[in-house]
Amino acid sequence: MRARSTVGRRSVLAAGAGLGAVGAAGCSVGSAANSVNAEPVVPAADGPVTLTYWAWLKGLQVVCDLWNKDNPDIQVQAAWSGSGNSGGYAKMFAALAAGGGADIAQVEFQMLPSFLLQNGLVDLNRYGFGDLTGDYNPNDLSRVSVGDGTFGVPQDTGPMGFFYRRDLLEEIGVNAPATWEEWLDVARAVKESDPSRRLESFNINDPGNFTSYCMQAGADWFTNDGETWTVDLAGEPTRMVADMMDTAFDEDLFNTAYGAFTSGWFAAAANGSIASVITGSWGDALLTGVGGTEGLWAVAPMPTWPDTGFGSATLGGSTAAVLATSQHPAEALQFIHWMTTAPEAIDALIENSGTGWSSSPDYIGRTREEPSEFFGGQNYNQEIFVPAAQAQNPDWIWSPIYLELNDLMSNLFRKRGSSGTRLGDSLEDLEREAVTIMSDKGLQVRGANT
Amino acid sequence: MRGLNNAQKRAPWLLLAPFLTLFLLTMVLPVIYAIGQSFTKVERTGLFGEGGISSSFAGLQNYERALADDAFLASVGRVLLFGIVQVPVMILSVTVLALLLESASAKWPSFFRAAYFIPYGIPGVIASILWSFLYLPGFSPIVAGLDKLGIGVDFLGEGTVLWSIANIVTWTYAGYNMLIVIAQLKAIPGEVYEAAKVDGAGPLRVALSVQLPLIRPALVLTTVFSIIGTLQLFAEPQVLRTVSSAIDAKYTPNFAAYSSAFTYSDYGVASAQAVLIALAAFVLSFAFLRLTGRKEP
Repeated sequence: MRARSTVGRRSVLAAGAGLGAVGAAGCSVGSAANSVNAEPVVPAADGPVTLTYWAWLKGLQVVCDLWNKDNPDIQVQAAWSGSGNSGGYAKMFAALAAGGGADIAQVEFQMLPSFLLQNGLVDLNRYGFGDLTGDYNPNDLSRVSVGDGTFGVPQDTGPMGFFYRRDLLEEIGVNAPATWEEWLDVARAVKESDPSRRLESFNINDPGNFTSYCMQAGADWFTNDGETWTVDLAGEPTRMVADMMDTAFDEDLFNTAYGAFTSGWFAAAANGSIASVITGSWGDALLTGVGGTEGLWAVAPMPTWPDTGFGSATLGGSTAAVLATSQHPAEALQFIHWMTTAPEAIDALIENSGTGWSSSPDYIGRTREEPSEFFGGQNYNQEIFVPAAQAQNPDWIWSPIYLELNDLMSNLFRKRGSSGTRLGDSLEDLEREAVTIMSDKGLQVRGANT
Repeated sequence: MRGLNNAQKRAPWLLLAPFLTLFLLTMVLPVIYAIGQSFTKVERTGLFGEGGISSSFAGLQNYERALADDAFLASVGRVLLFGIVQVPVMILSVTVLALLLESASAKWPSFFRAAYFIPYGIPGVIASILWSFLYLPGFSPIVAGLDKLGIGVDFLGEGTVLWSIANIVTWTYAGYNMLIVIAQLKAIPGEVYEAAKVDGAGPLRVALSVQLPLIRPALVLTTVFSIIGTLQLFAEPQVLRTVSSAIDAKYTPNFAAYSSAFTYSDYGVASAQAVLIALAAFVLSFAFLRLTGRKEP
């Protein structure tokens, strides 16, 4: 799940590593030159082992203890890493560079390639993951595999839906939008009903939603032929989404003061100045934190494009990956497989850690098979998210420059706000910058439109 | 040194050893390493470097890339602007506070001294989180109160957030700098005051002609600390970023270096940026010392 709300702040403390560490962390280059996956397979241990698991899932130790109870020889110790983008990944990268760190790490799907760039992950196929692929959703598997390797086990994903305040939309007299065209109309109606009210917020510091909208519209930003990357950030689907966003910005339809699930957002959602959020299925757990709104929320499918694109997209979602520095990859994989497929583990993860959509096609979780009181008795998981998990862009690949690209797009949206530069006019520059960053990383790359 | 035996010669080194060891390991070596790293670049084969990663000499390439980055240059301009405004404001208020607290007519001086110093005891990250809630609409009693008066302020907007950070920094460090100045004020011998009194100087005259010239070294010291502190701004923008969309990942030079290293894993450019920040701190501090030193009689 994407726990970037209030907990993110805590991890800032961990981020205070300071500049002195820049030098020390730089040791990786050169010393880690040979991929761990070119070295011999690490044999299973003779005696009991203890594995460390870095993640930002709350209550994870409870889940590990379920396993520990039955597996005295493989004990798993969970440790709070701080949420990924606010310090967790920084800690993992620094540890990889220093040659230490955890055995298992929570790595979001979109971050796997960035870890691969540092030779930071164990190819799980070398430890028998190939025999287990039947236990996972094929869409999820395609996003953890590169060539013959699998570098993370899908743990949870975030098929997207339209969460909205049923009472507010009824009061205004509009329905949940089926298309993006309708979404603009609903956003206009919400703003007209009260000038301080908006349909949605948009987080300028983390435009992940924009990425997901492009994924849904059928964009394939990064493709490769096994050697060279092709970057397509200015193609037709991306333009279509950018134009829609430009219209929304021109008419001031977004609340851009804060992103979804930040403190300011929770306050606004509680007093009705935010009416909906398009987000991953994991948003349900976070919405229960909006005070005084029990029974008022409902879920509809994500708005779609009439003639093109897909029914949904994903936002967030994590894998459990084995870090290259682990001494016990075989044991780590055993535990991870149990955690991601055993019904008691999936239930415990949902209950204690609020994880997102289960990657196991056989079991979505006990609580998710039933209607929810908070969502006015709607059986939204079965109704909305089971189909959404299937309606995905199968060709989407995450790039090795996810964070850099995210920050570049942030700058575009920031400029959109301050000087009104249209997104549609910035896409080719964006593509050029992305190509430069990748080639600065020593990769073979070309732009599709530039 | 002729009179010293071997044990006496060893003693200072033994006593210094714990400090020197830590200083070498945590300061000198990383600095040398960072300088080396700033001249290195990475080459990868394969889509992700699975075919091998090698590093090679990059010449000044990393420095070129750092200096060609508009966002990094903007961050330098931003902290310069910050320093030009915030440092004088803080030093001025520190001086006034110290003089007031050390004046003969001050009431409860030790209470106020402690009260002004307390913010320094709160770690920068915690202070920033506290202040972020005082800036955040929907949470902040300040924003709500001003709203009621018909004054709409956005403390976290593009034009204001830098000064909201300046406010946090001033709040945190003014008390600490004030103590340095007060320590120097306390070191002024009583006879000097008596002589001034005999010559008929009033409190204002004493402050301007006696105390100010004598606390100059303390003011120079606190200004140099503040200049270096300004260049190293990091925790405050990092924390406020969670509530303000006006703060990007390269808002200050240190933040840019942090992002390059730990977010983008681009250690070469990060090291180049770090070296540039250190050089700038060096140059600015020495320029200021030269500037103030020249006026010494």
